[in-house]
Amino acid sequence: MKGALFLVAAIAVAALLLPPFLPWGYADIDWNAVRAAPFSSGHWLGTDSVGRDLLARTLAGTRVTLAVASAAALVALLIGTAWGAIAGWFGGRVDEAMMRVVDGLYALPFMFVVIVLMVVFGRSILLVFLGIGAVEWLTMARVVRGQVLALRHRPFILASEAAGAPTGAILRGHLLPNVAPVAIAYLMLTIPQVVMVESFLSFLGLGVQEPLTSLGILVHDGADDMDIAPLTLLVPGAVLVALVVALNRIGEGLRQRLAR
Amino acid sequence: MTIYAVERLSLRIGDAAILHDIGFEVRRGACTALVGASGSGKSMSCFAPFGLAAGKASGSARLDGAELIGLDEPALRPLRARAGFAFQQPATALSPHLTIGRQLREAVVAGGAPSPDRRALAAMLDRVGIARPDARLDSWPHRLSGGERQRVMIAAAVAHDPILLVADEPTSALDAPLRHAILDLIDRLRQDGMAVLLVSHDLPLVALHADQVAVLQAGRVVESGAARQILSRPLTAETRALVAASPSLDTPGPALPPTGAPLLAAQGIDVTVAGRGWRAPQVTLVEDASFTIAEGEALALAGRSGSGKSTLARAVARLGPMTDGELRWRGEIVPGRDRMAAGFRKAVQPVFQDPVASLDPHWTVAASIAEPLRHLCPELDAAARAARVDALLEEVELGRGFADRRPAELSGGQAQRVAIARALAAGPELILLDEATSALDVLVAGRILSLLQRLQADRNLAILMITHDLAVARSLCHRLAVMEAGKIVEQGPFDRMLSTPGHPATRHLLGT
Repeated sequence: MKGALFLVAAIAVAALLLPPFLPWGYADIDWNAVRAAPFSSGHWLGTDSVGRDLLARTLAGTRVTLAVASAAALVALLIGTAWGAIAGWFGGRVDEAMMRVVDGLYALPFMFVVIVLMVVFGRSILLVFLGIGAVEWLTMARVVRGQVLALRHRPFILASEAAGAPTGAILRGHLLPNVAPVAIAYLMLTIPQVVMVESFLSFLGLGVQEPLTSLGILVHDGADDMDIAPLTLLVPGAVLVALVVALNRIGEGLRQRLAR
Repeated sequence: MTIYAVERLSLRIGDAAILHDIGFEVRRGACTALVGASGSGKSMSCFAPFGLAAGKASGSARLDGAELIGLDEPALRPLRARAGFAFQQPATALSPHLTIGRQLREAVVAGGAPSPDRRALAAMLDRVGIARPDARLDSWPHRLSGGERQRVMIAAAVAHDPILLVADEPTSALDAPLRHAILDLIDRLRQDGMAVLLVSHDLPLVALHADQVAVLQAGRVVESGAARQILSRPLTAETRALVAASPSLDTPGPALPPTGAPLLAAQGIDVTVAGRGWRAPQVTLVEDASFTIAEGEALALAGRSGSGKSTLARAVARLGPMTDGELRWRGEIVPGRDRMAAGFRKAVQPVFQDPVASLDPHWTVAASIAEPLRHLCPELDAAARAARVDALLEEVELGRGFADRRPAELSGGQAQRVAIARALAAGPELILLDEATSALDVLVAGRILSLLQRLQADRNLAILMITHDLAVARSLCHRLAVMEAGKIVEQGPFDRMLSTPGHPATRHLLGT
């Protein structure tokens, strides 16, 4: 897990801090070096089919992908935790009704829903955040509800009530700290999932718009050019695979360590 | 003739020596009992020679003359099939998705015998004393009572006619009358010549049924010999502690402090809850229950599991639902659960069965004990609270060194002491003991019980004690109320209830 943490941290730091120090921006076109080879004319990893620096574009794409993933995971965390905690805590009919809503949303083919949203409202990065977050919270809600149900009737919650603690204090003091490890571990497993979804949407041409880019778009463009300039596919692809695998490892490690 | 002989048995797990030079033997048609507190190595001594425990065993264990120690798994398997094993938890040892008949058949086939017909299976259930055996073959485990499940477990263990039956705490999960019934069953099996190796922490109980007893402590046999002799003239302190710790109904009742003015009066309490599902009918858990508790008085609420005793106690402590009825504290009506005033919360505090689950794993001992102080005694500042926590830790005989520990660093007995300290923190007049000693082993439970006796006298505490074990209640309680199917069927002074029990449910609990 340490290696995975280091890898994710290194990729994130590079994506956030490195671009200003590069000679080229992600949208700058170098007309003298279209599809340049690596280490030629000042482009360390070469350029793409219209002469944009591959390293700068990969870093920019990573930044966008990480931003989408974090934002969507955060939405999932907030909505999912609140929804699941309320359903689990009140139980009975409240629980029945709230979880049937979740079941209903689960039944929708969510990729299709996101695509319809994109087509109807046009492509916007905000919509990508919203659309992905709105479906990713379902599983989070189920996970949190299960935890709350299991905790709800534990004697220490009853003892806290007997100690005169108001409901808010019980939720804050006992329930959330005991749910948090599981929720955080699950959050870590959600991020790579969102990375994949975002890349897939962008690959289909429904994600962020040019000249802004994401790992999914880069892989798409690279796939068109793979016979001439294989690096344009391999570099963003390698970053994507590294991110997803490392995040999954972190999530799984956290789950085993915290969730007992 | 000796069926099973163990000599100089030692067991190491990694670098830790678990067992040292264990020796005992079981003769044909006889019963040998291994007795000790939890962690004394009694179960390990049983299972290690058969390759059913972790670690590396050395020494000698001969089953019908064949050496078990040092054999590899394929060589061990046919020898293991000559013994039968019954475990502590019949609820978890039976597979919930197979009928009783299927499980028995599996046990026979796994023992190497051809698949038995239905009549043979029914005969097995009949042998262990199950009524209407033919109909029971199609039952699922959850339809059976705890005692019946334990009988099925034993039927499965002896289905292939083993020469040795190894029973690991077969009675610990059962109430008093069932314990004797199960041990009587094991006695009957011995008449067919089967040898029995019994593991238990209840020395007085097994001594009535076993011929030989070996007392274990910290992985060593500290005393062994004929059962009667060990029970009547124990030589070591460990044995004496085991004899004394097991409460008995035969010992005279304790001298209890006199009781004062009425404290809590419950009148016509009903509890009904919604059934599972959207439109399921209501389920009645407690019906028309009435009782009173006076200052300094201890009332035992006894009954078999599922009789509604916990539900009733939680209703009157305002920790569970209550549908109808009236609850008065010193003559004043107690408000509903969602409108509880600090005054009543302060007066009534609970202690639950599972000591580790009643403490938040993230909170330190000091934070847990201070929780009622923070909410119910807002006049105390942080320094006064810390002083109170230290005093409480001393009072439950733990000491202030425990203040910064977390529940994972506590033993079951220590955790239960912390839970008692938390219950005492706000200075309650009544404590609710919900099976507070039943999850603990017999020595630890005995020490918790004497702590409670001391607190009862020192603080003039009233106690509402929920239990299925009358012998435990006897040492603490003035009066006894017996519940069955949600109703209080009989109540009265403890001694009168013992000498002239009126209701069948009371007689059942007394084991008569």
